[in-house]
Amino acid sequence: MATRDLHMEEDEILFKPIESSGKNFYLTASILGVLVILGVIAYIYQYRNGLAVTGLSRQVFWGVYITNFVFFIGISHAGTLISAILRIVKAEWRLPVTRAAELITVLVLLFGVGSIIIDLGRPDRMFNLVRHAQFGSPLLWDVTSVAIYFTASSFFLYIALIPDIALLRDRGNSPKWLYQILSAGFTGTAKQLRVLDILILIMAIAVIPIAVSVHTVVSFVFAMTIQPMWHSAIFGPYFVVGAIFSGVAALIIAMYLIRKFYNLGDYLKHKQFNNLGLLLLVMACFWFYFTLAEYLTTFYGNEPAQMTVFWSKFTGEFAPLFWAMFIFCFVIPFPILAINRTRTILGTTIASISVVIGMWLERYVIVVPTLTAQRLASDLPTYMPTWVEWSILAGSAAFFCLLYVLFSKFFPIIAIWEIREDREKKREEIIEYVRERLPEKGEELEEVLPE
Amino acid sequence: METNRRVFLKVAGLATLGFMVTKPALDVFARGQFGEASVGEALDPPHEVGTTTKWGMAVNLTACSEKDGCTACTDACHDYHNVPDIDNKEEEIKWIWTAPYEKVFPEHGNEFIEDDLRGSEVMVLCNHCEHPPCIKVCPTRATWKREDGIVMMDFHRCIGCRYCMAGCPYGARSFNWKDPRPFIKETNPDFPTRTRGVVEKCNFCAKRLSKGLQPACVEACPEKALTFGNLLDDHSELREILATHTIVRRLPELGTEPNVYYYKAD
Repeated sequence: MATRDLHMEEDEILFKPIESSGKNFYLTASILGVLVILGVIAYIYQYRNGLAVTGLSRQVFWGVYITNFVFFIGISHAGTLISAILRIVKAEWRLPVTRAAELITVLVLLFGVGSIIIDLGRPDRMFNLVRHAQFGSPLLWDVTSVAIYFTASSFFLYIALIPDIALLRDRGNSPKWLYQILSAGFTGTAKQLRVLDILILIMAIAVIPIAVSVHTVVSFVFAMTIQPMWHSAIFGPYFVVGAIFSGVAALIIAMYLIRKFYNLGDYLKHKQFNNLGLLLLVMACFWFYFTLAEYLTTFYGNEPAQMTVFWSKFTGEFAPLFWAMFIFCFVIPFPILAINRTRTILGTTIASISVVIGMWLERYVIVVPTLTAQRLASDLPTYMPTWVEWSILAGSAAFFCLLYVLFSKFFPIIAIWEIREDREKKREEIIEYVRERLPEKGEELEEVLPE
Repeated sequence: METNRRVFLKVAGLATLGFMVTKPALDVFARGQFGEASVGEALDPPHEVGTTTKWGMAVNLTACSEKDGCTACTDACHDYHNVPDIDNKEEEIKWIWTAPYEKVFPEHGNEFIEDDLRGSEVMVLCNHCEHPPCIKVCPTRATWKREDGIVMMDFHRCIGCRYCMAGCPYGARSFNWKDPRPFIKETNPDFPTRTRGVVEKCNFCAKRLSKGLQPACVEACPEKALTFGNLLDDHSELREILATHTIVRRLPELGTEPNVYYYKAD
């Protein structure tokens, strides 16, 4: 038989979101849709009236949009990087998680890039970035790196999706033409599976250095300038750590919602949340360590230009945001994740929500205070984002969620074929194990164990 | 002697060779492969440029501050360059303006500075740095350095990312948050107006220089506090001033090497 047994009766629940949509789906999509429209209206308003409609000023010329850029690109590290690492180290508990993670990467990158375009004074000229590219600018490094990351992670997501698309095609799901085209003639032959495995492995390896480079060069946008508290050698790794930190948190939240709304408790179990929760705990410690290293060296060095920014964060204008960041990034999640009893499905999710909020604040607290306290600031200017900026943030986040939900309506959010392949492999292993020790029971077991 | 000479020739030869090889490669990196003539480059003066000219300025600290409330240089500059008069700190555009001495020279802001300098207003403008950090970070080469040292700005290529503003440690650059045209009292047809969404700054009056005129601010100052000239000309008035006074530049520790100097006349 060329095609593998499709186990139609099994894993039905994984097809359910694609085949039927309940009230919850329409409600969620509508709410998200409204927020998206709000964001679009805000952007049109800004496009017509100029960036004057934001709270930005001559002194504080970067704000929420640049924060969003760093934040969204950071979230993107959830996916492909984590999925790739777990694949390479053959952590089998990853199986129900990988696609949900990879999808975050691909979709959220769009909003990272989008944030930069929204921030441009002349978005109509954005192609000058290509036409007149000046590769000495860290911004161009970003453009290059993010473009490569987006291409690679889209491809990574897609190739691991092909067998599932073929499943949908063979089930006769509609839109038929979509699955027909995207399945790329996959029938599950041994040769096809081998090619697929090799491709996935190559991409998994390739994507790791790309992902690290992406957030490193994002940090370089700041670190390459000579502005106080931006010009820091630690920024590359600090941003990468923050990116993985917020990325894992975003993934846990996504998993929680998928589990709840699609009733996938049998797939996304305590084990997945526990293990990712431990990873989040490790990242929280790394984050604390880098933050300490960054601020302690600044404080001890006591340079006036740096200290103006430093004190604005610790005791000045930005103190509420700075300390909120610290509470959300460390004080709340650390104990929840460190104690076994609270590292539950709900516990890790709460810790993750806290981390996502905290990491947005972290990006904000990196971008804005330096600008209010540049060396020659005439007086300490303030920056208050306007409704336009908040609406665009809400709209971007909602648009991301909407695309995520829509994807799960067309493609399985859990990699069915990988789960099945793993199940088969485990079955053979068990039979092999028993056969080695109790040769007479082997045959019996083969009949008892479900295919 | 003979060996020294030989060594020198060898080193010089190698250096020349190295330069010939690396220069084009560096140029590709620096200029981008798509460098094409832009509006700003059309402002290049037809003669007097190249290695014989490097424009610079000297600002007399005390002469300027003597006349309180004088805005002659700022007015002349802003009128000539169609700089909009937007009266709020958030959206204002300025090419040349004053700032308190202690802010302009934070390294001099000690307890016991001279009375005539304490709190005095100092003219500030783009420093046309020898190593301009703004140019390095511009992703589209909308800002670049001419051979005569002027840091230029192409309003037609700028995409408005404001990275140059982050690059500049002097706050010399302004961004058009809104359409500047309604805020220009009288438009000077000799100089382009800007659209909203682009960055602008002082250009050392490149256009006036090409006509053989002094920068507008220099011409307008009633106290003759500003001296403009060629830093490579040993006999220029500018060089004379620099040679005979104690001079300072802004934020020298950053290595940008400003071509605007400040001095205190006796």
